[in-house]
Amino acid sequence: MISVFSLGGFNISMSGDEKDYKEKLIVAVKKEVKQVMEESVTRKFVHEESGSVTSLCGAVENCLSQGLRRRALGLFKTSSTTALLHKVAKHCSEANRISKKVQEIENSDPNRRSSSSSDSVSKPTLKKNLSFPSSPLPRFLWIRLALFDKQLAKIIDYLVSNASKYYDKDALVADPDYGSILSSLLVGPCALDYSRTKSVEQFWTDPPADELVKMHRISSGHSTPPSVRRPILNFGRSLNTSSDDPLLSRNNSQHIAKDYVESLHQNSRAALLFGKNNVLVMPAKDDVTEPMPGYLSLHQTPSGLTIKWTPNQLMNGFTEESQDKSIYWDYALQVRLDEIVYVHCHQDSEAGGTIILVGQDGVQRPPIHFPKGGHMLAFLSCLETGLLPRGRLDPPLWSQRAGANSTTKRRRPLPALSETEEATKDYVFRIIDNSDHKDIFKRKDLMNVKASLPTKVRVQLCSTSTSSESSSKSFSIDQQSVPDSPPSVYIQAVCDSMKKQIISRAFYGWLAYCRHLSTVRTHLSGLVNGKIINGDGASEGITVEKWAELCTDGVVTDYAEVYRYTYFGGIANELRTQIWPYLLGHYKFGSTEEQRKALDEETKQAYENTMSEWLAVEAIVRQRDKEDQAHAIAKLSSESTSGDHAPNELHRDLSNEVFEDVITDDEDSESDHDTPNRKNKKTRENTIRYESEEEVDKGETNKDCDQQQNNVQRNDTGALNSSKILSVEEEEEATCNNNCDNLEPDPREELHDFIHNVIVTNASVDISNIETEGHVRNHLDAVTEENNSSLDTCIETHGLASPARSACVSPASSNGGIYTQELLKTFGLNLHRIEKDVQRCDRNYWYFANENLDKLRNVMCTYVWEHLDIGYMQGMCDLVAPLLVTFDDESLTYACFCHLMERMIENFPNGNAMDCHFANMRSLIQILDAEMYEQMHAHGDYTHFYFCYRWFLLDFKRELVYPDVFTTWEIIWAAQHVASSHFVLFLALALLETYRDIILSNGMDFTDIIKFFNEMAERHDAVAVLKLSRELVLQLQLLIENK
Amino acid sequence: MASNKKVLLKVIILGDSSVGKTSLMNQYVNRKFSNQYKATIGADFLTKEVTIDDRTVTMQIWDTAGQERFQSLGVAFYRGADCCVLVFDVTAPNTFKSLDSWRDEFLIQAAPREPDNFPFVLLGNKVDLEPRAISAKRAQQWCQAKNNMPYFETSAKEGLNVEQAFLAIAKNALAQQNQSVDLYNEFPDQIKLTNTQKSNGGGDSCAC
Ligand SMILES: Nc1nc2c(ncn2[C@@H]2O[C@H](COP(=O)(O)OP(=O)(O)O)[C@@H](O)[C@H]2O)c(=O)[nH]1
Ligand SMILES: [Mg+2]
Repeated sequence: MISVFSLGGFNISMSGDEKDYKEKLIVAVKKEVKQVMEESVTRKFVHEESGSVTSLCGAVENCLSQGLRRRALGLFKTSSTTALLHKVAKHCSEANRISKKVQEIENSDPNRRSSSSSDSVSKPTLKKNLSFPSSPLPRFLWIRLALFDKQLAKIIDYLVSNASKYYDKDALVADPDYGSILSSLLVGPCALDYSRTKSVEQFWTDPPADELVKMHRISSGHSTPPSVRRPILNFGRSLNTSSDDPLLSRNNSQHIAKDYVESLHQNSRAALLFGKNNVLVMPAKDDVTEPMPGYLSLHQTPSGLTIKWTPNQLMNGFTEESQDKSIYWDYALQVRLDEIVYVHCHQDSEAGGTIILVGQDGVQRPPIHFPKGGHMLAFLSCLETGLLPRGRLDPPLWSQRAGANSTTKRRRPLPALSETEEATKDYVFRIIDNSDHKDIFKRKDLMNVKASLPTKVRVQLCSTSTSSESSSKSFSIDQQSVPDSPPSVYIQAVCDSMKKQIISRAFYGWLAYCRHLSTVRTHLSGLVNGKIINGDGASEGITVEKWAELCTDGVVTDYAEVYRYTYFGGIANELRTQIWPYLLGHYKFGSTEEQRKALDEETKQAYENTMSEWLAVEAIVRQRDKEDQAHAIAKLSSESTSGDHAPNELHRDLSNEVFEDVITDDEDSESDHDTPNRKNKKTRENTIRYESEEEVDKGETNKDCDQQQNNVQRNDTGALNSSKILSVEEEEEATCNNNCDNLEPDPREELHDFIHNVIVTNASVDISNIETEGHVRNHLDAVTEENNSSLDTCIETHGLASPARSACVSPASSNGGIYTQELLKTFGLNLHRIEKDVQRCDRNYWYFANENLDKLRNVMCTYVWEHLDIGYMQGMCDLVAPLLVTFDDESLTYACFCHLMERMIENFPNGNAMDCHFANMRSLIQILDAEMYEQMHAHGDYTHFYFCYRWFLLDFKRELVYPDVFTTWEIIWAAQHVASSHFVLFLALALLETYRDIILSNGMDFTDIIKFFNEMAERHDAVAVLKLSRELVLQLQLLIENK
Repeated sequence: MASNKKVLLKVIILGDSSVGKTSLMNQYVNRKFSNQYKATIGADFLTKEVTIDDRTVTMQIWDTAGQERFQSLGVAFYRGADCCVLVFDVTAPNTFKSLDSWRDEFLIQAAPREPDNFPFVLLGNKVDLEPRAISAKRAQQWCQAKNNMPYFETSAKEGLNVEQAFLAIAKNALAQQNQSVDLYNEFPDQIKLTNTQKSNGGGDSCAC
């Protein structure tokens, strides 16, 4: 959307269709104006960074550029119209005002100066230039500012009326019609309110991830550095930033001011409990001599109560004269109630009431003076309510006083606080936190505490720094709380109190610092390895040459080097098949080639055995499915009176879409008969006997089945004994149809036929392959079932590998196994789930586009068969897939997957690794990027980190494209031996840091971030992210090392 | 001028794995069907603007993983929902049987203020496939027992009935939202802040 407005070329003189061209420019403006106006109608504010605002500004810029007399005006150095603004500023007050603002912003950071005057700069990517600490300036800066300031129409009006000075004769602005159209078009947008605050009402209009990233690249020459470059224990910064206090970072003060005032409103994140204007506060600043009126408000957020006081000067809109209000921001007050222990009240019937808040550190906040009229009481009352249920006032403001009649309890405020009673009263309330365990001294485990430790640290240091100014004033109030004491006691008390305050302040500051450091060490030291291993020479990873070096005579001994090279540079693709089994622990370092061959063989045998076991069960499951389905269909058709289900349509097998070559028989039957008999018989059984002998002739004879009604029999040995049977079957198929035709047309029989005419298809193991190659090959052989078998003897042919003939005889399959109903049910359920997910696994990747799905299914089923207690869980297929793509060998994939799952299983719902990851992320972000943490906390608190769920569950497999998944995985595997066994955390952190600016500047909340990362899936620059992850690990290692 | 009230409708789609939740959502929002969708892990959502009785509202449709073991994650996503869409596959009887537990689970986790009146809509998906295992009649009976939940038979593949179903979902969600008291629109009147009202003035000039 944005790139449309390339600025070059618009001032090149135009030929005959100039008129058309101007028309086009105007139409573009119209379109964008319309867009912006529409946006404003559906929601309260238009977001300042909305794509449509940018587009509008671009369209205006184009109009203003056209026919501009750059040369004559000396503007030829720049391509934008910013210089024009500065020129016009001399004569037009509106332009002057905007011009000043532009300069202010540009000058606030020397690095920025260039970006607004050459709007077309689009420096490459956000990963580069990490060292320039500035946030990006938006494009079309002056037009934006003028628009937000509602001055744009006026400035353009001025340009139009004085067009001859600045424009060529045939310029759009100089045109009698177009010029005035342009300025009048902008009247509307200039009347709107623009906002940077994100509210619930706005977030769905946010541009998609794509646009965000693009916008970011265009608008920023350089990006804010992720925390890597920043000293971690930066108390200097911490001192200036208080948790949700937007006041103190002063660049872009206009925006922030507005955001701030908006934050005083009721909004989705904070409930407004109390609001009162003309409350007097004496700011603790040297240059203030008397109390100032302002707006006092009490806000409730999920994290607690906050009291804010804002000088009136800041409350009265922002569109007025350009008087510098910045000093008032210093006066504004913001107090978090969880830092407050005492509330001192001084009630004066003449003058109203005064409240002084005293913090945990003993420091008093500036007195808050309420006008007369019960406002203080109202405030206290709101405060008391707001504290519930976690905290309370002691003594309670509203005492439950039993009247004369003990049943009628009357609520009334403490006598001291009702203004009607006599003159001057003082009272002290203690704010009691009901959750006693919150005691900071006992708090050891950072993970369990919601309030962030760094925040506390900051808060306490903050108060330390300001206390010297406020303490002198506060003592005077202490006096009033002990009015009856003799003067000496009284001075003594003051001195004691002073001493205590000084000591406690120092103590708290020191304590906070120590706690912070020890938290970092004790809690986070577990996340990285103590020993720092450098990556010298390893950045190329394991190349073919390197591998030849490492693997001498087929034996790899220097495992440390294998890990180190992998960690710092990954593995060449053609070597992965060889090296991955080492990394996953399947091959042992130091093993010889023969040993590994033997292991491969062993693995293969075991795999085949297991497979033959579950394939047998699968066949039974399939059979039952068919019956169930037929049953359901029968029920359905008996239920439905209309004949809208033509019998022909009933013939498709739905249960399994993996195997598409479902063969349907033309032979059909009415299916509107229920089968109560069969049902009864079936449900009587508790076990199904699996018999494999004596079955060969079952297919042909169907009359002796009644005697075996309780057995499900399969002629798999028949199928297995020789491939001859398979060919016999084909003939049978032909004859079967005849047989069926010959059957007497007993309606019930017909139903049976129908049921059995549904054909089961099995992934089968071809015998010949096993014998010749000794390797399991899978085919999607559609093996038809015996057509004329009777209902209860479900004889099914499936191409199971013949255990009897191969060396490995599985007792289950050769001698017939007995399976409990429960086992059948469990495995059946898993089987269906697996198949559904196999169907949907990376179909857009060439390997799984058409083939290989059955391999994936086999590996998955084998794993689940061996781990039926765990069962299949969504995501497992995703973990098998990259292994299978790499090895293209089922048994090796299976063995390696088992190793992989040893770690990964804990991430799945029954394990606890996911919660640990989330908790660790919390700690890491808090310590390595407090600003981001605060933003997450402030925007609906998504520090639960659920948006990382898929990342951790699948080791970022869904976030990256296949080649990057390979690299990322091997680095994760190697990392535990080189740097960190929690490398995934640092990957997650690196992803967040990579998009740090976008996340912060858009004020993303939970939904935004979910959407953003879902849209960015498979589009990350994995090389950069991996590099950053390693840097982050190192950063933490260094921090812990430098005790 | 349209009212400033919150016009975001949050809709949650629930149902067994593979009944077509992701496909339905994509068919509705993007008018596309693909058999290359991956099984949903975690959660995702799409948004779409719809006009109901001259009011433009935005539907935020949440799609979550369908395997019951992942339900514990739900609580983070279900909160604040305005309507819950239950989906089953008309060719798979088990997906119909689990509807009750999906509904219960939702009510527990989302904890809506009036569980009895919370709007649900049932979709029987994949009607393009044969043979059916669950008849429309049976589904309707179930719906009747559940406070007359609206029922639609859809095919995400063919785009059949999808638009209609989601329109009904939007309406139900909107009705739900209008019913619940809006606690968030008051502001103490002591002080006048910046002027938030919009001027229509310039809007006319851009009518083209
Ligand atoms: N024939 C048909 N197939 C569908 C329909 N809807 C979804 N599918 C298929 O069913 C499978 C599961 O769909 P998906 O949307 O991923 O289900 P989810 O797990 O509920 O999100 C996919 O293979 C889809 O292609 C439909 O209406 N008709
Ligand atoms: Mg899905």
